Amino acid sequence: MADHGHRIDPDQCIGCIACAKVCPTKAIRVRDDVAGVISELCIDCGACVRACRYNAARPTTSPPSDLKKFKHTVALPSLTLYGQFGKEVDPDQVLRALTEIGFDRTYDISWMCEMIAAATDAYLTECRGPWPKISVTCPAIVRLIQIRYPALLENIVPLETPRELSAKLLRRKLSTQMGLSPEDIGIFFITPCTAIMNSILNPVGLDQSYLDGALSIRDVYAPLFRATREPRPAEAGDGFSPRGLLWAMAGGEIAGMRSANTLTVRGVPDVEYVFDHIEAGKFQSVDFIEAYICPDGCVSGGLTVEGRYAALRNIQEIVKRLSKRAGIPGQGRVQEEKVRSLLREHFFDLEEEIKARRIQPLADDLRRAIALKREQAAILQQLPHKDCAACGAPDCVTLAEDIVRGEAALDDCVFIKIQQLEQRLHPRKEGEDE
Amino acid sequence: MPAAMEEILLSERFRIQGNDFEHGGEAATRVKSILRDLGIDPGVIRRLSIANFEAEMNVIMYADEGEMELQVLPKAVRVIVTDRGQGIPDIEMAMQEGWSTATPEMRARGFGAGLGLPNIRRNSDEFEISSTVGEGTRLRYTIHLN
Repeated sequence: MADHGHRIDPDQCIGCIACAKVCPTKAIRVRDDVAGVISELCIDCGACVRACRYNAARPTTSPPSDLKKFKHTVALPSLTLYGQFGKEVDPDQVLRALTEIGFDRTYDISWMCEMIAAATDAYLTECRGPWPKISVTCPAIVRLIQIRYPALLENIVPLETPRELSAKLLRRKLSTQMGLSPEDIGIFFITPCTAIMNSILNPVGLDQSYLDGALSIRDVYAPLFRATREPRPAEAGDGFSPRGLLWAMAGGEIAGMRSANTLTVRGVPDVEYVFDHIEAGKFQSVDFIEAYICPDGCVSGGLTVEGRYAALRNIQEIVKRLSKRAGIPGQGRVQEEKVRSLLREHFFDLEEEIKARRIQPLADDLRRAIALKREQAAILQQLPHKDCAACGAPDCVTLAEDIVRGEAALDDCVFIKIQQLEQRLHPRKEGEDE
Repeated sequence: MPAAMEEILLSERFRIQGNDFEHGGEAATRVKSILRDLGIDPGVIRRLSIANFEAEMNVIMYADEGEMELQVLPKAVRVIVTDRGQGIPDIEMAMQEGWSTATPEMRARGFGAGLGLPNIRRNSDEFEISSTVGEGTRLRYTIHLN
């Protein structure tokens, strides 16, 4: 697999264990004073990027200089971006600011979000079980399902995300309108998280991403902030879907849906709790679950600047204001019949099936795997159970597993090593009392 | 099943405390994680998880205490759940969907739809139940590996 949405720079890494300790899938080991990511276990949640105090775990988002590679550039901002500059700043001011920092054009995805919410509603009335269905919006969730809950792949709603579908249509439209070849158009997402960057590098449900890259909100924040502060003539600002804008926060996807039989889950522990229960046959009376790795959905993404509480409030205020301006508060304008017929024409469909990503078991042969499992339990008994992570694995259980997999040694444990040294310095004879 | 196929390759036991709703589902989750490490097919894990969760909740709701034992056999995974508790007076009745003795409090927590035992049977390839009123219940269910 290619890169992830983040990378650990070995020159900056001092080999502390902060990232390994916070990684929810235990995908990081520190060896020879450098942290390394076990690629197949990583779900790109960005916890390591947040935890690193040495700027070693960094996003692999596109540098702004990537814009120069294209004849015509389009910014496709995450809806989260609209809530980053205070509640008085309108989305169209943010879009204009994006053109001022170098994009030729911008594209708002709030209508596409409202459309896909309506398509999901239609899908729920026409599809079969297993229930509940699970949203594909958060790429880190999709990856978590692929590696940890493969049985739940059947529950995933097989409809494309607003960002990919928008980029697909836009590229087609622009190349016809402007007479440009599709590869001359550079469409960049403005991303709140590393997970979306990874979904562009390693797409799921489609062969290749329709996006050419993603710029981190952090990287473009300062110039955008300045541009939004300059006085500008007021604009109508009714080109946005207030319902769609809600997707920036947890609960927003279902807020615009007709089906009331829905649930929002956020944050790794809660997501795991709910997914474990779905696997055990629970939550079957729920139709649809929107799940996010981040605690408040995209507004709390690791690459945002505005704190999540302020960002939430900003989005809510903006939605309120735009709904008032649109005249029909909270009402969308997407035509449901149209969406339903588009759904039947497979307009929204994922291009490929989402497949499980199998984690290597202890051994392929069952007997061998069981023997190793026993060995792991025996090794664990010798370990101190302090989960200090000084060995480079996040906890004692994981070290024991690494040892039986042949990837670590018992004396990687500092407590064992001290015991061994003491034994060598003051050898005790057999049967001698302490 | 031939005797060689009954060889127990791995046995793990988990204690279940009656009335301990707070930790409900923990034994089922731990069984799942062991089977995952062993590379057992996800479909088998899912079916067993459904059965285990139901069985575990039955112990928590109706028994004083119990135990869940996971057995990995060469061509199957088996779970034996034994409890010390009130027992089931009429097993045939309890195996019918919709039949439940759950209290209103249990129903308020989302249990007691009367689907527990039938659900375990539906999700396993072999199913046995025995119970003595005033002593307890023993369930044994098996899913074949292919």
